[in-house]
Amino acid sequence: MSKDLDDDMFVCRCEEVTVREIRQAIAEGARDVVGIKRRTRAGMGLCQGRTCEKMVQQILSQELGISPEETGTSSARPPVKPVDFGTLAKGVQ
Amino acid sequence: MKSYDVIVIGGGVIGTSTAYQLAKKGYDVAILEQNDIASGTASRTDGATLISDKQPGIDVLQGYHSVELYKKIAKEFSYDIEFKSCGFMYVCETDAEMAAAEDYAAKVRAQGFEMRVIDSKEMCEREKYLAKDLKGGLWTESDGLVNPYKVCFGFIEQGKKYGLDVYTHHEVTGIKLDARNQIEGVITDRGNFITNKVVNACGVWAPFIGRMVGINIPIEPRKGMLLVSEKTDIIANTEVIEFGYWLAKFFVDFKRPVSELVEKHNVCMNIETTHSGNTIVGGCRLFRGYDIRSEHEIIQAIAERAIRFFPVLRDINCIRTFGGIRPFCLDQLPIVSAVEEVPGFYIAAGHEGDGIALAPITGLLMSQLIAGEKTDFDIAELSWARFKGIDLAKLSARAS
Ligand SMILES: Cc1cc2nc3c(=O)[nH]c(=O)nc-3n(C[C@H](O)[C@H](O)[C@H](O)COP(=O)(O)OP(=O)(O)OC[C@H]3O[C@@H](n4cnc5c(N)ncnc54)[C@H](O)[C@@H]3O)c2cc1C
Repeated sequence: MSKDLDDDMFVCRCEEVTVREIRQAIAEGARDVVGIKRRTRAGMGLCQGRTCEKMVQQILSQELGISPEETGTSSARPPVKPVDFGTLAKGVQ
Repeated sequence: MKSYDVIVIGGGVIGTSTAYQLAKKGYDVAILEQNDIASGTASRTDGATLISDKQPGIDVLQGYHSVELYKKIAKEFSYDIEFKSCGFMYVCETDAEMAAAEDYAAKVRAQGFEMRVIDSKEMCEREKYLAKDLKGGLWTESDGLVNPYKVCFGFIEQGKKYGLDVYTHHEVTGIKLDARNQIEGVITDRGNFITNKVVNACGVWAPFIGRMVGINIPIEPRKGMLLVSEKTDIIANTEVIEFGYWLAKFFVDFKRPVSELVEKHNVCMNIETTHSGNTIVGGCRLFRGYDIRSEHEIIQAIAERAIRFFPVLRDINCIRTFGGIRPFCLDQLPIVSAVEEVPGFYIAAGHEGDGIALAPITGLLMSQLIAGEKTDFDIAELSWARFKGIDLAKLSARAS
């Protein structure tokens, strides 16, 4: 349960976002994964939320009393995985 | 039913700034946003706060006032908006482009603002990763950067201290008018509100709100796209833009020595390294309706152009791409105005590629208009009345 999660625990390791910061973002009005991302950067790092999205959904659903599905997902945008600009410029994707 | 002095529709950078200024003046204000705060164009953008990408005249003037306000806000707000007064550089690839840039800089200087012609040596000293074969550029010391979402959240958090009420996930579906066409209230999918004053701050969606009161607002979406790098050392110390960007923005007929793909998608390089250490590169200007999808050809063209100016990017990873749509007003100036034929209806929209830079001044001017005060400077050129007798259909031909 998210109520049991330690405030200082990292949720998003790429951007070093803690449980406390996620809770703070919810207090400021975030209601979904994207709202958390914009307020805290959770999910904006190298892995683009692949690791932390589930936990962000879990905290949102606990704090707001909604189902994890209602907390949404981050929109999928290319590239699927990190790729250097040189490769992109060649049009290989 | 809840009642307010003023209701601001749209929780983007323009709406949040306006709502903040009104609340600060002591008005009882609510902001209504169909999704979340900063979920429209304000979250699909760079954060350049420049006077240097504006047209000489009122555009540069409002840019100047807005950047000055950012300096104050950055100190005043408890919320960190990541404002950085880092300067701004235009870079030119050819002599012809350099001549056009010098001409522009002379006009800006004639208006009393600083904008200096610099040579390739100074450019490379300021930006160590910049290509060494460029002809020269322009430098504006006072320009800077902010974090666009944080600006919106900052206005909201600061506004709440003055009693601002925030209703996210409230979509405005109608506006009630009385027999004299005066605003009476706002209808949303989650209840109605009573008010005599409404500010339409809906950016590219402003025309839909306009139709609710029977007016045609000449704003169209103009697409841009951005590529985000992994975190690295600082690649660009300042905002750097190729001068062709300015020429393309204002439809100046100018041919650059670029590939077919770059030409086809109207791609011009802009780059900034953000507070978080990611570098964002763009961009393009295209009319594609409301489509904000990432397009592969545009990604390719932006990457190609970015490497032209910052070869170091070749081996750096791109982790995300996104598209956004700029609220392009057909005569290329925003609308910051009352609408005489609908008493109580105001518009603050149409800021194209400048909404982040101009948000502070637009909010302030809007609050002055609503309070019936004299505005900080004459804004007749931003008025709704400027479209009187103008054939809007003719203007829109340019955009297609
Ligand atoms: C790629 C790109 C790069 C850019 N770079 C820069 C830059 O470096 N510097 C700069 O100054 N500008 C830049 N811009 C431009 C800037 O982002 C825009 O001018 C600005 O975001 C517009 O703000 P806004 O508040 O008018 O619109 P938005 O942020 O779109 O806000 C409008 C809000 O209204 C809401 N809304 C719409 N309809 C309704 C309704 N019926 N009911 C309730 N709410 C509704 C929307 O959900 C939205 O949140 C860039 C834009 C793009 C696309």
